[in-house]
Amino acid sequence: MAQLLTAADGLLRGRWRAKEELGAGRISTSASLLAAIGMAAGAIYGCSMGLYGLLRPGHATWKQVLADAAKVPLLFLLTLVVAFPSLYAFSALANSKLRFGDTLKLLLVAVAVNLVLLASFAPVTAFFTVSTNSYPFMVLLNCVFFGLSGAIGLGILRRALREVFASDSLGRCPDPAPAGADVETVRRAEAARAEWARARSEGNRPRRIFAAWFAIYGLVGSQMGWILRPFIGSPGLEFQLFRQREGSFFEGFFRALGQFLLGQ
Amino acid sequence: MSATLEHVLRGEREFAPGTGAIPLARLGLTLALCGGAHGLALGFFALRGEQAFYSGLKVPLLLALSTALCCPSFYALNAVLGLRQDFSAALRGVLCAQAVVAVVLASFVPVVVFFQASGVSYRGAVLLDGMLFLAASLAGQWTLARHYRPLVARNRRHLVPRTAWLVLYWFVTIQLAWVLRPFVGAPGLSPSFLRPNAWSNAYVVLARTVFGA
Repeated sequence: MAQLLTAADGLLRGRWRAKEELGAGRISTSASLLAAIGMAAGAIYGCSMGLYGLLRPGHATWKQVLADAAKVPLLFLLTLVVAFPSLYAFSALANSKLRFGDTLKLLLVAVAVNLVLLASFAPVTAFFTVSTNSYPFMVLLNCVFFGLSGAIGLGILRRALREVFASDSLGRCPDPAPAGADVETVRRAEAARAEWARARSEGNRPRRIFAAWFAIYGLVGSQMGWILRPFIGSPGLEFQLFRQREGSFFEGFFRALGQFLLGQ
Repeated sequence: MSATLEHVLRGEREFAPGTGAIPLARLGLTLALCGGAHGLALGFFALRGEQAFYSGLKVPLLLALSTALCCPSFYALNAVLGLRQDFSAALRGVLCAQAVVAVVLASFVPVVVFFQASGVSYRGAVLLDGMLFLAASLAGQWTLARHYRPLVARNRRHLVPRTAWLVLYWFVTIQLAWVLRPFVGAPGLSPSFLRPNAWSNAYVVLARTVFGA
């Protein structure tokens, strides 16, 4: 336990992020340790989230606490399992220095940081759970905490990607050869301009990878959250480990939006 | 095999930009296996083996036929623009880009299987498939751009056939995908290689849908 806490502290302090290591495409931490940190931190937040089910009037049950302790870390880790082949394909496509194992470790770092931050909100969630019985308020509060920790985790991932692809400052594009210049001067000027264009294109790679990762992980994660629901448990409903398997997050979202806008 | 896929994605060794011999056999095998894997996953939407088999054949067919149909015009345009000497490097780029599309499609197999297992509707599955094809195609364009960079640096005229390829390729692929449908397979219809009204025009159908003619 003490080892996990020390490792989680090291993660938050960015001890895994030595510039030379990242520049060489290496992540100096163990994947199993990252997964263990993620599982433990997710379970802590899951317990605080499931506390609402333990205290809700009518259908109070401790099963919601246990279910959420498993479901919160699984939400993140199973999403990574499903999305990883395509995440790695886009990383390799951009000719990233990160090989298979290091790409997995970098993504696990982002997931673990996200879950550790979420766990740090657990006392606040637990406090509000015991001091309110408003279900919509608890849904919103959890959304805010998931959003905040996710944004910080993504920020760390983006910064790490920039360091993996770090290159010297580009400066402005070299001028073309002056009119009437000899063939050799024109050739050299064109080569310098082509090299500048290549370097600029390479400089866009972290942004492109990040955008592709964000889109794929977000798509799979939304659906994973949809099939693992309920996380809080509506008051007045019996405990369910999973709701009926139907549709997708996006179909549910647009149906709810339609009902909201059309007032049905 | 995994090392070959890695080289295809990274544009390394025999798949690197340049003018060497085009590794046709490896590119063809990559296209067949990876495209086939994606097709199999798509066709399993309603847990029908027959449709999965058909779709497993049709995805590589879609990628290979669309390339074959566009290649003659691509060659003619290169020749007309005086770029014949670089055609081998350009063709290498086009074929490597198609292989990358297939590899990226294969990397999406877990995503397709996961969404289908989680009970997504038929329309949702078709929409997801469209999005994944679009993402894979953009990955292919990324590879094509990598192969074209040294060519354009040498002669800016290469931008013309590259742009023409994109326009023609998308134009042909959309119609070919329409002819080769179904890939997912509507649950209410029996599995089939082609729909009974396969030989219609996607653009005419689209125009009629939009303008109600």
